[in-house]
Order: sequence, then C-alpha cells, then structure tokens
Amino acid sequence: MRVREAFKMPADKEEKLRRAQRLEWVTIGFMLSIIAVIGLALGSSQAMKAAWVEDILSLVPPIAFLIAVRFRSKEPNERFPWGYRRAMSIAFLVAALALFAFGSYILVDSILKLIAAEHPTIGTIEIFGRQIWAGWVMIAALAYSIVPPVVLGHLKLPLATELHEKVLYTDAQMNKADWMTGIAAILGIVGIGYGFWWADAAAAGVISLDIVKDGVQNLKQAVFDLMDEECTTVGEEKKDPLQTRLRRELKKLDWVKDASVRLREEGDVLTGEAFVIPRGETNLLENLERAAEQIRSLDWRIYDVSIVPMRSIENEGKGDGN
Amino acid sequence: MRFQLLNRLLLILAASFLALSCDLPRDQKNTLKRVQSERRVRVGLIENEPWVRRGASGEPTGVEVELVRRFAAELGVTPEWLWQNEQEAMEALKRFEFDLVVGGLTESTLWKDEIGLTNSYFTDRIVVGTPSSAQTVKGIEGINVAVERDDLLTAALVSEEDATPVRVENLSPATETAAAHDWQLEQLGFNLTDIELQKDEHVIAVAPGENGWLGRLEEFLKAQRPAIKNMLQQEFGEGR
Repeated sequence: MRVREAFKMPADKEEKLRRAQRLEWVTIGFMLSIIAVIGLALGSSQAMKAAWVEDILSLVPPIAFLIAVRFRSKEPNERFPWGYRRAMSIAFLVAALALFAFGSYILVDSILKLIAAEHPTIGTIEIFGRQIWAGWVMIAALAYSIVPPVVLGHLKLPLATELHEKVLYTDAQMNKADWMTGIAAILGIVGIGYGFWWADAAAAGVISLDIVKDGVQNLKQAVFDLMDEECTTVGEEKKDPLQTRLRRELKKLDWVKDASVRLREEGDVLTGEAFVIPRGETNLLENLERAAEQIRSLDWRIYDVSIVPMRSIENEGKGDGN
Repeated sequence: MRFQLLNRLLLILAASFLALSCDLPRDQKNTLKRVQSERRVRVGLIENEPWVRRGASGEPTGVEVELVRRFAAELGVTPEWLWQNEQEAMEALKRFEFDLVVGGLTESTLWKDEIGLTNSYFTDRIVVGTPSSAQTVKGIEGINVAVERDDLLTAALVSEEDATPVRVENLSPATETAAAHDWQLEQLGFNLTDIELQKDEHVIAVAPGENGWLGRLEEFLKAQRPAIKNMLQQEFGEGR
C-alpha cells in the first residue's frame, strides 16, 4: 500500500511549536500549584468549588495538546495510511466535552443550592496561633489563582494563531478568562462574609454558566472539525483564505482551464482534493506532478492535496466558486 | 479593555476589604446581634454522658453544658435550655429555632452538611491501657482486653483487633489490659499505649451560615481547650 508521506513542519514553525509545548508544561505546573492551594483552602463555598473545578478542567486542554502533539508526529503506516494528524481533533473534542460536562454539573448543583436556600457555613481557622476567618484564606488562595493563567494565556494566544492550533487556542482563551472566575468566586465569599447566603451560589452559577458557554462553543467546533467542515481560521471562525488562494494559483497555470478545491482540516494542516480541467492531454502527467509541487510550496499547512484531472467540474452552483 | 476592567475591579475589592474587613464575617440571620440584644441564647440539649447529662433534679449538667454556661456568661446572656432528641434538635437548628445544640457531637455527624459545626475543640481517643506494672505492648491480637460493661462500642472495636473483650463492672489498673477513653484510663492509673482504636473530634453545632456567631464561639472554645480533659475527668469521677 502506498501510505501518505510524513508531514514535515518548517523549521521556524517547529521552533514555535516547541515553545508552545514548553508553555503548556509551565501551565500544567502552575495549574497544579493553584489546584493544590485552592484545594487546601476549600471550604463549604460553592463558588470556590466551581472555580476549583474550572482550574482542574483547565488541565485537560494542555494535557490533550501535549499528548496529541506527540502522537501526531508518528509516520503514516499500513495500519494508519493517513497518519495520525487527526489526533489533535480528537484531543480537541475531549477537552470540549470535559468543559461542557463539568460546567453543566456545577450549574445544576448551584441552582439546586439556590432553590434549597442553603446557608454556607465558613468558620475560623488557626494560623500561627491566631484565629482568623477561613474566608480570608480562601480569598487569598483565589487571588493567587488569578494572575499566572492570565499571563500564560496572553503568551499562548499568538502562538495558537500562528501554528493554527485550535486546542492551544481554546486553552489560551480559557486561561485568559480565568481571572473572571477568580473574581466571581472572591465576590461569592465576600458575600458570605457580609451575610448574603445567596451570593455564593449565585457566583458559582455565573462561573458555571461561563464554563458551559465555553464548552458548548468548543464542542460545536470540535464536532464540526471532525465532520470536515470547510476550513476556518483559528478563533474568529472565518473561512480560511488559503482555499481561495489555492484555486487562484491553479487557475493561473496555462494548461488549466478551470479548477476547484475541496479541503478539510486535520488539526493544523489542510488536506483534500484539487479538481482541474486540463486544456489538453499532452504532458498531462508531467503537468500534474509539477502542479503538485507548486501547491505544496504555497503554504506550510498544505499537506497531501491530490490533484484530480476531470472533464468538467459539476455541482459548482451549490458552493461559492472555489 | 479587559485589563482596565480587571484593574478597576481589583481596586474596588481592595478598597472594600480595607474599609470593612474588621467586622467580617457577619451572620446571615443576625444570631450574634440578637443573642446580645435579647440577652438569651437558645440551646438544644441532646442527652449524652459525660457531655450533656440530666442532673438529679432535672437540671442540665455535663462538660458541654458547663462550656455553654461559661460562654453565655462571657457574653452576658442567659441560656435557655430545651431537651430534645437528636433528630428534633437538628431539624430545629437547621430552621434557626436554636442558636446552639450540644450533645457530644463529633465532626463526623451525619448532619454536618445541613448545619454549622465549630472546629474540633477536643480530640477524644479510645486507646488501650496496660497495668501500671506491665511492659509496653505492641498489639492486642489474641489477648483479653477489659472494657466497661455498657461500652458496646469499645467492645466491638476490641473485637475488630482480633482481641477478646471482657466486660467488667469497673476497670482495674492492677491486673488487666483495658480499652477506654484515654482521659479515663489516665485517671484510673493505667499506662497508655499507642494502640488507638478510635478517634473522635468533638464539636458544637450552630445554625447554618451564622458565621459571625460561629467565629465568636470558636474563639471561646479555643481558650477552653486546655481545660476540657480535667472537666471530663471530674464528670467521670462524680459519675462513679
């Protein structure tokens, strides 16, 4: 069997990818420390529990990313002739599903607590022989959880766009938004301090709504990617301009009468078919080979696009002319 | 944009902390203020020797009753006692009909999610003691261990260690190895071993979410901690 050629990433992108991997390791380290600190201070506050769950969940995208990066660089073989590039799409789905499921759980839990009008009890603890309200310790732990993710998120975002890594992008977005979770949880605990029993569950509800929103959005995108939706840009979810460019380049060739391109994403790379109507059949094989070479050099993300010569390109009317 | 918002929020938070942090946390139902203004504290009593006991003429005594008396005195208020079973007391406490419930409750009470509990103010251990003359023992497997006649829990714990519980009227440190509360064995003159059969963290129950009231009580209990063992031994001595 003729298996796919292994994908080679350009050296500069390879360097960026390694940087992204390093940042993900740093993220995991920081998140573990945050999870530990909040876990130690965790009392009966629902908002704090929600923030804690979100912190634990934010481990999923970096772990999924690191595993998938490792996996997808394996070369295609007889068993997996298309290679392992799709590992990233699966990782993305897993991350999104985790987000959605846990967010929903906390949301329902908070609503039930609001309905039951539960009064959260937070007592005092002894630190260095002094009796202080445990709420202050919880607030301090939450304050620590605010800063590192925001910084890491801002560092990862440009890398995600450049490398076209949707998992990394999701992860960076979650980190960036993390401070709001921290503040909401702090407000919930301050609310308890002022004697508003509902403040805590309400804050938890707001946090979980945010998690659910992220979850739904990413779940949708992950499923669409696995369903081979037309290629989109990272983040803004606009049509990827590379597809149009590819068609234009093909049409520029003097032996090509017309061309149409059908691409799909496999994580960061684009693959698929380019249909061309040749003007004649002289030197067709040589022309095809040369065109394939040209396409490949167009952009680093173009990987294994087959050029298919045809007599006519049908059903063009349903699409938008690519 | 987001950063501006973040900065502003942090500023507001910091400012409000500084301004108001001294009197936090407050109660959700004003228990502390109400107790102080009405000069009475409503206490639910669950009979549980030696913590809460009904005296000869029906008046409450016991270690926790004494603690509540001291706490009430410190606040300058009068305790209003009401005898209840545990179910009634907890259901009422949950609905804010009591300010406190005492009855030898421990941290592992099944009601812990529905009411407020103080920090543990006393750790009660059931341990093995040996006669004052004996050498130290490593384990009790296969030997006879004396327990008080009515102390079914300790007898069961001893059995779990593959020892034979021998139920006696009075524990005697002269001859036998025994299992009981550490403060009790100490008082009777046993040598305490490291063999711990059970550990209970004792707490007092308050209405849920009354965090100011809870904090005030915890502060009081912290100061009382060194005195608890003595109070228990005194109760135990009177009971015999």
